[in-house]
Amino acid sequence: MKILSPPGLHYPITVLELLKKPDDDVKRSERLFTYTYESTVTETDKWGDEKTVKKKFTAHFNASTEGKISRWYIGAGAVIARSGTEIIEIEEPCTHEIQFGGLCAECGQDMTKVDHLTQSRNTDRATVNMTHDNVALLVSHNEALRGEEETKRRLLNSKKLTLIVDLDQTVIHTTCERTIAEWKADPENPNHEAVKDVEGFQLADDNVSNVAANWYYVKMRPGLKDFFDRVSSKYEMHVYTMATRAYAQAVCKIIDPERKYFGDRILSRDENYTDKLKSLQRLFYHNTSMVVIIDDRADVWQYSPHLVRVPVFNFFPGAGDINASFLPKQQELVTQSKPLAAPVKKIEDAPMAASDAGESAGAAPAEGTNGVGEALEQQLLSMASPETLDEQTKEQERVIIAQQTERPLLQQQLMQDKADEEAEASEEPDVAAHGDLQHSEPPKHRHSILHDDDRGLEIVENNLNRVHAAFYDQYRRSKAVGPAGRVAALKGERSPKKRLNDSVPDVAELMPEIKEQVLGDAVVVFSGIIPLGVDVQTSDFALWIKSFGAEVSTSVNRRTTHVIANPDRKTTKVKKAARYENIKIVNPEWMFQCCSRWEHVDETPYLIEVDPAERGGSPFEDDSINASGEEEADDPADSPVTLNLTADNWESVDDELADFMNGDDTDGDNASESDSERSDDSTASTSSKNQKKRKRTNGNTTDGSEAEESDSSVTNTSRLQRRKKRTMERVTSLTNVVTAEKSSGLPTPEATGTEAIPADDLKGGPEENGVAPDLQEDNDDALEAELLAGFDSTDGEA
Amino acid sequence: MFFLKELEKTIQLHPSYFGPLIRSHIHKELLQKEEGSSTGKYTIVCILDSFDISDGQVMPGSGSAEYTVHYKAIVWRPYKGEVMDGIVTSILPSGFFVDCGSLQAFVGRNMIPSDIKFEGNAAPPQWTDGADQVIEKGTNIRIKIKGIRSEVDKMYAVGTMKEDYLGPLSQ
Repeated sequence: MKILSPPGLHYPITVLELLKKPDDDVKRSERLFTYTYESTVTETDKWGDEKTVKKKFTAHFNASTEGKISRWYIGAGAVIARSGTEIIEIEEPCTHEIQFGGLCAECGQDMTKVDHLTQSRNTDRATVNMTHDNVALLVSHNEALRGEEETKRRLLNSKKLTLIVDLDQTVIHTTCERTIAEWKADPENPNHEAVKDVEGFQLADDNVSNVAANWYYVKMRPGLKDFFDRVSSKYEMHVYTMATRAYAQAVCKIIDPERKYFGDRILSRDENYTDKLKSLQRLFYHNTSMVVIIDDRADVWQYSPHLVRVPVFNFFPGAGDINASFLPKQQELVTQSKPLAAPVKKIEDAPMAASDAGESAGAAPAEGTNGVGEALEQQLLSMASPETLDEQTKEQERVIIAQQTERPLLQQQLMQDKADEEAEASEEPDVAAHGDLQHSEPPKHRHSILHDDDRGLEIVENNLNRVHAAFYDQYRRSKAVGPAGRVAALKGERSPKKRLNDSVPDVAELMPEIKEQVLGDAVVVFSGIIPLGVDVQTSDFALWIKSFGAEVSTSVNRRTTHVIANPDRKTTKVKKAARYENIKIVNPEWMFQCCSRWEHVDETPYLIEVDPAERGGSPFEDDSINASGEEEADDPADSPVTLNLTADNWESVDDELADFMNGDDTDGDNASESDSERSDDSTASTSSKNQKKRKRTNGNTTDGSEAEESDSSVTNTSRLQRRKKRTMERVTSLTNVVTAEKSSGLPTPEATGTEAIPADDLKGGPEENGVAPDLQEDNDDALEAELLAGFDSTDGEA
Repeated sequence: MFFLKELEKTIQLHPSYFGPLIRSHIHKELLQKEEGSSTGKYTIVCILDSFDISDGQVMPGSGSAEYTVHYKAIVWRPYKGEVMDGIVTSILPSGFFVDCGSLQAFVGRNMIPSDIKFEGNAAPPQWTDGADQVIEKGTNIRIKIKGIRSEVDKMYAVGTMKEDYLGPLSQ
């Protein structure tokens, strides 16, 4: 170590004599040389007079460190004019490169000691933390580089890369709701199949809300074990999570019981110095060229080029990420519930019997909740609100308590069961109507709200393999050029070590290259997706799609290739884009698919149908069904069968179900809207619906033609009941769309008998039902008009 | 090294504990709070049964009562140069961590005999000499303390296994 002249001496000083020779051993605080300096002092003589005198003093210079002297920079008689001049170089026996908790790990000395000789603190020598599970172990810059070099060589030899794995919502999903344990224990439960591999654990030091120990239930992403098995042959894996250390270790015990994938390479919030961000520099001091990250959030990584963004794993609907309260807030997007590709596909694949309309109705609530949960995927960066750790902890507690007490999953399942019952009840008449056809059908199952059909890991693995192949491809190529370079190296143009460094490709350059080819030719405009007040160019969506090479512009013009729009809303941009033939108007799901698969996905399933009239005035297609005169001709629901159709229908079913659960439907719009949709869907269904309505009115008066009057004359309470029933019928009539055509609007008396059961328990009189079949043929249309009028009036009153 | 030490502790009791069982409450509180705690200088291992509880004093304003308890306890204080047995908790390329009771010690690369090398490709990683000496998570190991430093409620130590009779213990 070079010792410089310290500040605080009376410069200039003159060296008198060197007391040590080169190669001498010195101890700390031993004298190195003597010197003289001049200073003014105040002296008092014997009469008390003060005078200032300039005097010359002699002093010693002490060694501030022990070791062996390697050379002197000064000699006797030299004058040192200022501080910072080189004096001597001493070779230290220990350079304190690794320090643990203020102790040198090599010599055991206390590094925190500071005395009058200290020139620079020993703790400053080691400031780099490269350890996963300890914050007290620090190493020096040189030691860090050496360690990285070693790691690099080891990885290159075994043809591996480094993979940083996030836990929550990337490879697992956790909830605290004890409903899961009940479902797991109960083989009868419809969710049993999905939760049977869920593992629970408690944390010893956990006292959220003063409940002794909280149970956590961890669901592994489907195919996780195989994923780890295959990926671990190409990647050395690390865990980097924002959860606590205890939680992270408990989870790793579940996903990696033999500790063969992660070992001790687990980094948690406790060892990450900040709660807001994840940083590669925390683990990889200098060289990050071989690091790949998988995470479901890009904002915490500051959109790092190393990141492979993973579709969010959301198994427990609505549970979210229980550790997310420590991260920057997520912002939901304008699209509240977006149509999902995966569940839709599932429904299609499911063995569909003739009358499983009930099944699709049953799937609807689950679809809705999934959609809302999936909206979490649509995050935007909002780092603005600074929160104290205390608040965040409280927030997390609140989430956990809510899960424990409110048990949202149980509520959803109860809703689900109710919906199933509804569907079953509505199907009974059909079974009776054409019995032998239906008898072969298996008995109705209760529907589960949990779906074990996530395929995210396959996509991720695919991407990881691509990166790995590209990396070692390039590495091999650069090595092949090596021998030629070697001559140059031998000529002394480059040191061989440097060459090794250069030949290793950088993932941070490689991955963007691969990604940018995906949507390289796309010019994208967002419409109705990014909330107002957010800068489009820096929004999460835009940054995400830009990383795949697409260009984001704010207005539609000739260069635009895609408009990513909200299917529920009709914006001017969409209308404008519709005029260009070449612009594809797609829903956000297209973007998610492209960005998670790293492929330019075919747009066709994600297209949003636009009114042909707006498509540059092409002739009307067959709109005869819409002739009932509704304003929503351009509603996507009316388009030929696409994914949007089913999804939208489900949304409306969802709404209706929610209405039913609430008991009172206060919004008249909803009622009339769904009414119109129903009439759009099938004219055949209206007849059967009418007959039901008439029956209900028959319950009050025997005269069917006075339906309207009786409707408005009943008391408030019965009106409420009727309305309940109406919403109930709305659900069933929608679900009956398929079967109603078969029955061709001519149900048998038995069928009406069973169908009238809901009416019976209100004001039942079985004999009144007998009237219904007689009346139904005459004036269906007139009656429908009357009923609609009746609806409007009652809704208006409400 | 273990010591028998006389200690003093002030315990505050909430009024809801006032009653015939108050002495057992104080006892319980003492055991719960003190046993296993570390002061930065020593760790309290075990509190001996005979102890002396002073008269309680009700604190003005709060209604809680304050008791001063004198007790004897076996305490453990590690010293530099002491040889200890511990369990390996974590393996790093730069060394490994050992838990010796309440004390966490780090054994650095230079404190490990040169024939024992880091094997990073093993799953899980380990330090090994390729024969019978394997140091991995959970290994029982004997080390000598090379340096120790205490903070308010925590002690740090660095250890060595470069001397005779130190290293992994046969199970």
